[in-house]
Amino acid sequence: MQSQPYLTDYDAIVQTLQLYLDGSRQGRSEVMRPAFHPDASFFGYAGGQLAVGIAFLFSWIDRNGPAPHLEPRFISVDILDSIAVVHLEVGGWSGTLAGAGVRMSDLFTLLRTPDGWRIIQKAFHWHG
Amino acid sequence: MGESLLQASAPAGPPGNCRRVRPVSSARLTAGLLAGFSGMPPQNTPQRPLHSWKEIAAYLDHSERTVRRWEAMEGLPVHRRHHDRQDTVFAYRHELDAWSRRRTREPRRAMASPGESVAPTETPANGYLVEHDAITRVMHCYIAGARAGDAELMRPAFHPEATISGYCQGVEYNGSIQHVWDWINANGAAPNLQPRFARIEIIGTIAVVHLEVQGWSGRLAGANTRASDVFTLLKQDDGWKITHKLFHWHDDDAA
Repeated sequence: MQSQPYLTDYDAIVQTLQLYLDGSRQGRSEVMRPAFHPDASFFGYAGGQLAVGIAFLFSWIDRNGPAPHLEPRFISVDILDSIAVVHLEVGGWSGTLAGAGVRMSDLFTLLRTPDGWRIIQKAFHWHG
Repeated sequence: MGESLLQASAPAGPPGNCRRVRPVSSARLTAGLLAGFSGMPPQNTPQRPLHSWKEIAAYLDHSERTVRRWEAMEGLPVHRRHHDRQDTVFAYRHELDAWSRRRTREPRRAMASPGESVAPTETPANGYLVEHDAITRVMHCYIAGARAGDAELMRPAFHPEATISGYCQGVEYNGSIQHVWDWINANGAAPNLQPRFARIEIIGTIAVVHLEVQGWSGRLAGANTRASDVFTLLKQDDGWKITHKLFHWHDDDAA
């Protein structure tokens, strides 16, 4: 593993984002919480309103409920030593708040912590 | 500050040329005559460029902070000479005059937001280019502030709730953007900054900018250090704003 630090980081980042996707699919924020840094921030427009703060995301996920048909694609994973940027396109969103078959573009920035890679910010664009 | 060094190294030009005179052609002509270039007609005298922010500010009759902001956000034509020890700035009076005329002629669209001010050239017709240019202008606020060691220059670039994260000398660092501003002011000038846009990605109302910055210097940055910065931006009614700065200092390859 030590000889392949890039692959180790890459796979760890994808695993962290998998927690986000699992939580989104299940509509359970507690599943995705470990993926986020305690100081994580959150920005984006939801229904034309600016949504700020990671608490908004967790609450939204719980209220939205299951979204079993999520189709995530990793568009880019850029690792710069202790920081990383991931662009995720997620189609097939559904749920109480999301509606049906909508798409979200997500930009995650991550920080490598002693406990592993953690999302420090999620910015999103909702394709309404 | 680098200005004293710049002043010391600048060649001694004619004294008092056009200082505190607004760049209006008739006034300038008079000022040039009054300055008295040893009896030579000013039109035939090769003009010495303005050799420091102080001179440029005096020529435009505004503060150094204002002219640095104009360079960052409104395309004030300022040139740089790269040296080993310290970069220097210079500007040509005729270019500053042309810029002033253009600025007076074209009403600024977004007075409320310095980060969204009109580009010095004509606005591109293509929507993507408009957004791209608006984002690079915001980023140039950050660069100007970093270079000058003046947080006021970069403040308009940030969302009020923006945050910062990264490692500084091995210590994880998270906090409000105020920490960045305090750091910039404490660090002082970093005149040799060499920023490069490694990536600008726009997704509707959000964007990510990866900036590689070499040539950092200052009281806190040390000498000739390098940082990788990832900025996340949000498009608001008053323009693009940075919501997050994520940084990695390359402590290992500091000179």
